[in-house]
Amino acid sequence: MSTKGTHIPERLKIPFAGITPAPSQEKGQDLFPTGNWRSIRPVYRDKLPPCNNACGTNEKIQGYLDLVKRGKYLDAYALIKEDMPFPSVTGRVCYHPCEQACNRGKYDEAISIRAVERFLGDLGQALPRDVAKAGPPNGKKVAVVGSGPAGHSAAYQLARLGYKVTILEKSPKAGGLNRGGIPDWVLPQHVLDREIERLVELGIAIKTNVEVGKDVTWDDLKKDYDAVVLAVGLTEPNSVRADGENKAGVHYGLPFLRDIGMGTSKVKLGARVAVIGGGNTAIDCAREALRQGAVEVTMITVEANAQEMPASPEDLHDMLEEGVELVHGRSVTAVLGNGKVEALQLHPARFSGAINASPINVNRDVPPERFHVDNVIIAIGQHASLKWLPDEFKSERGTIKIDRFGRLGNTNFFAAGDVVQLGSGQPLMVVNAVGDGKRVAFNLDKVVRGESLEPRTIPVDVIFDLNRMNMTYFPHFPRVHQAMLAPASRRKTQEEVIQAFSEEQAVEEAGRCFSCGTCNACDNCYLVCPEPCIARPARSNGLYKILIDYCKGCRVCIEECPTGCLEGVPELDFDTGVVRMDTAFAISPGLHGRQAEELRHLAERPAKSI
Amino acid sequence: MATATESKKRTVRINGCVASAQAAKYADVDVIAAYPIRPYTATMMALGQMVANGELDAEYIVADSEHSQLSIAHGASSSGARVFTGSSGVGVQFAYELYSPISGSRMPVQMMIADRTLDPPGDFGSEHTDALSTRDMGWLMGWACDAQEAFDNHLMAYRIGEDPRVLLPQMVCQDGFFVSHITSDVELPDSGQVREFLPPYKHPYPLDPRHPVSHGPQIMPEQGPPLQLERARAMEESMAVIEEVHDEFAKIFGRRYDPWVEEYMTDGADVVFFMQGGHAVTARFAIQHMRDRGLKVGLVRLRTIRPYPTDRVKEVLSKFKVVGVIETNMGLGSVSSGGVLYAEACAALYESDRRPLVLSFMAGMGGEAIVLKEFYWMTEKMIEAQKRGKIEKRTHWVGFEE
Repeated sequence: MSTKGTHIPERLKIPFAGITPAPSQEKGQDLFPTGNWRSIRPVYRDKLPPCNNACGTNEKIQGYLDLVKRGKYLDAYALIKEDMPFPSVTGRVCYHPCEQACNRGKYDEAISIRAVERFLGDLGQALPRDVAKAGPPNGKKVAVVGSGPAGHSAAYQLARLGYKVTILEKSPKAGGLNRGGIPDWVLPQHVLDREIERLVELGIAIKTNVEVGKDVTWDDLKKDYDAVVLAVGLTEPNSVRADGENKAGVHYGLPFLRDIGMGTSKVKLGARVAVIGGGNTAIDCAREALRQGAVEVTMITVEANAQEMPASPEDLHDMLEEGVELVHGRSVTAVLGNGKVEALQLHPARFSGAINASPINVNRDVPPERFHVDNVIIAIGQHASLKWLPDEFKSERGTIKIDRFGRLGNTNFFAAGDVVQLGSGQPLMVVNAVGDGKRVAFNLDKVVRGESLEPRTIPVDVIFDLNRMNMTYFPHFPRVHQAMLAPASRRKTQEEVIQAFSEEQAVEEAGRCFSCGTCNACDNCYLVCPEPCIARPARSNGLYKILIDYCKGCRVCIEECPTGCLEGVPELDFDTGVVRMDTAFAISPGLHGRQAEELRHLAERPAKSI
Repeated sequence: MATATESKKRTVRINGCVASAQAAKYADVDVIAAYPIRPYTATMMALGQMVANGELDAEYIVADSEHSQLSIAHGASSSGARVFTGSSGVGVQFAYELYSPISGSRMPVQMMIADRTLDPPGDFGSEHTDALSTRDMGWLMGWACDAQEAFDNHLMAYRIGEDPRVLLPQMVCQDGFFVSHITSDVELPDSGQVREFLPPYKHPYPLDPRHPVSHGPQIMPEQGPPLQLERARAMEESMAVIEEVHDEFAKIFGRRYDPWVEEYMTDGADVVFFMQGGHAVTARFAIQHMRDRGLKVGLVRLRTIRPYPTDRVKEVLSKFKVVGVIETNMGLGSVSSGGVLYAEACAALYESDRRPLVLSFMAGMGGEAIVLKEFYWMTEKMIEAQKRGKIEKRTHWVGFEE
C-alpha cells in the first residue's frame, strides 16, 4: 500500500476530494490564492476627461453627465457648483471649449455639454434654496472689485471658504460682463438676477455704484479688508484710430451692449449699420443692431475670410442666418460725414502676422471704397482702466501685473479675469474668467492662512486617443440638438434664440458620454471577470476593488473596460500584495515558501556556494 | 432522479452491447452521454430506444465528439447525476484529456468500452490498447469475458465507484465483436434486487446554485501533491470495497466472481495462460482439449487490472512453472517489446521466491480471433520453456512464427 503511513498537513487539507467551498462562502478561496500567477495587475486609475481638462474652470463634466444619465440631477447640479457658480449663465453663454475637446467629436458628434449644463443651471435656479452654502465664518473680510464672471466666481468661492465678502461694483446693477456684455436674447436678465440673488444668500454684500479710484481708493481697500480680489475687467473700448471717429452715430461695442443691458441706452439706430470687428462681441453687436431696428447690418473685418475670424462658428452661423452681411479684408481708414456719420472710408487690409492680434497692414495705394452707413459700431476689443492702480502693478500690456498665483507682489491683493488674461494668449471668455476667479480665491485663502503657494505638480493624464478606450461599447449616435427660434422671427425680438433641453433630451445627450478614462460604474469589469475577483459594495466610482489574491491577470477586465479607466500595471511595479510566482514568493510556507526563503538570502551568500 | 420501469427476473439472449445497455437501465442512470463509434454504438442505440419508449427516464445527450461526451459526463456527474457513457478505439483516445480531471475531481462516471483496434489503418476488430492506454488515469478498470459478466460488472462498478470511500470513475470493458456483438443468454435480474444492491448516487457536494462550491479550481503547486495522494489512496482503498461488493453481489444475485482473477483448470497445472477478456472463452475450450491429452495447462484470467491486484497475482502465478501472457494489446518498445500486460505480470512476480518463467504472446491483435490451434501452439512454447528451464525468446508473435 503506497499510501500507508502517509498524512496530509492540515494547511493543505481540503474538505472533500477536490471540492472546495465556493468563493462566495467565508474563506471560500483562502485555500487557493491563485493571484501569484499574475504578471499584470489591473488598477483602476481615473484619467482626466478631455472636457474637464479643456474647461476654463475644470468643471467635472464627465461626472455630472454621468449623474444626469442616471437621473441624479440634484447631485449633478451640486457637482457643477463646485467649480461654477452660475451654470445657468455658462449653460447659455459659454463658448464651450469642452465640446471642442470632446472625444466624441472624433467619433460622430461632440456631446452638447453646454445644453446639459443649462438644463442643470435652470434646475438650480428653480430650487428654493441653493445647494451651495457659506463656509463657517473665519472672521476675515475680503473685497472683490467687480461683479463680472471672475469677481462673481471669486466671491462665491471665498464665501464658501468662510470669508465675509463684499463686492464693489461701479455700475448700478451687479453682473459685469454677464449683464453688460451679453445680450438678453442669449442670457435673459432674470437668469442673471437669480444668480446674483444666490450670492446674497451666501451672505455676500454687494455694493453697487462704487468705483475703485473714485469712491474707494487703493489705500481704503488695503485698510478695510484682509485681502482684495481685483476683477475689474476690460471696460474701455479700443479705437480704430480713424479720422472722424468722434462723429455722432459712432458707437463702441461693449458700451452699446452694456447700455442696452442696463436699460440706460439712448441709442437710436438708422437703417444701415456697419459693425467693425470679427470677434464674438462684434457678432453680438451686429445681431443686437438688428433687434434695435437696423435694416441692413454689415460686418466689416480685417480677416480675409470667415474662417479666420476669432468668433464662435456657431454664433457666426446664427448671425448669418439672421441676415447680417460680411465684408472681409477691409480696414476703416476714416469716418465720413458732416457732424454725423454718413459713410465709412475703407481700404484693403490684412494682419501683418499670422494671428489676428498682430498689427494691421493697410494698403493705401489703391483708391478707397466708400461704404454708406447710418451708424457704425466699433467692436475691436477693450482695454482696462487702471489709473487707480499703483504703477508697480501695471504690466506692459496694460493689465494688472501678477505672479503665477494671481497675486500682486507680496500684497494680499489678487487679480483675476480679463484684466489679467488680456494678451496672455488665453482666449477671453466667461468660463476662463470663472476659473481664474476660483483659483485666485483658493490661493488667497492659502495666503491669508499663512500657507505657502506651490504650483501643482501632479501629472495629468488626459485621454485623447480613442484607442485607449473600448469603442465597441459605443454605438454611433447623433447629437441631440437644441431647438432654435426661426431666423426671421428672432431678429426682431429679445427672446432667447436657443431653447432649453427637455429632461429627456438632457438624459439622452448625457447618455452619449464616453466617460473618457473615468470609471462610471458601468459594472463591466464586475461582470466579465471570470474568477470572479472584483468586489464592489455598491455601483460607484471608487468602490470597485480587485481581490488580488485571486486575480490571475487575465486582462479581461482591462480589455473590456469601455472607458479606459482600468489599466494593466506590471506586477513588478508593486511591492505589496501577492507577488508573482516566478519571484518565488508564496503566501503559505510550502514548497515555494521554502524556496522563497532561500532566494531571499541568495545575495548574502558567497558567490561560490550559489 | 430518473425512475426506471419495473422489470422481472428473466433470461434473454442478447449481445454484450445490449447487456451493457440493460445494466444502465437497471442502474437507473440519470444522464447518458452518447457519441457514435463502432462497436460500442449498439449500446447507445439500445439505450436510445429505451429512453424513447419510456422504459428509462434519463437525459440522453448526443455530444459532438467523445471529448464533449466525457465533458458532459463530468459536468453531469458533478451535479449529482448517475452518468453512463462509453466509446471504442480512437474515440476513447479522443476523450483522453478528460480522464484525469474526472478521476481527479472524484466523479464516479461510468464508461462502457467495447474495444476496437486503434488506427492504422481503421480496423473494426478488438484489441485492448484503447482502454489500456488510459489505465493509469485513476479509473477503475476490468474486462468481462461474456455478456452476462459485462452486465454484472456494470452494476458492481457503479456500486464500487460511488462508494464514499472510493468515488472514482470506472471503465467497464468488453471485447469488441467477441463480446459486444455475439449474443448469449443473459439473466436479467428483478428490479427489486438491483434496488437492494445499488443505492441511489448521492454526491456530498454536488454543483447546486443554492449551495455553491468550487469544483476543480486552479491551485498552488504545493496543493497538487495532496490531491494526487488522495487519489492514490482512493484507488488503494477501493480494493477492500471491491471485495465487499463482489460478496454482496453474490448474495443478492447468486453469481460469485473472484474480483481479481478467475482460475480455470489450474489444479496441477505447470503452465498457464494469463489474459483478460473474451478470448478466455476460447482458451477454456483449448485447455479442456489439451487436458484431455494430458497436458498440464490452465488459465488465469485477470478480471480487474485497476486497481491491480499485485499480491494476488504474485500468489497465484507463483504456483506455476511457466506463465504465457496473452496480450491482446500493443506496447511498442515496452518491457517485452510486445504488450503491456507482460510487465504487469512480471512486476507482480518480482518479489516471489518461486518465480515462473514468463512468455509474452502477441495474439488476438487487430481483432483477429485466437483460434484453438494457436492456443495449442502457445502451450507448446510454454512446455518447451518448462523443459529447457529458461526462455528461448521472451515475446512471440503468434501466427508469424514456426
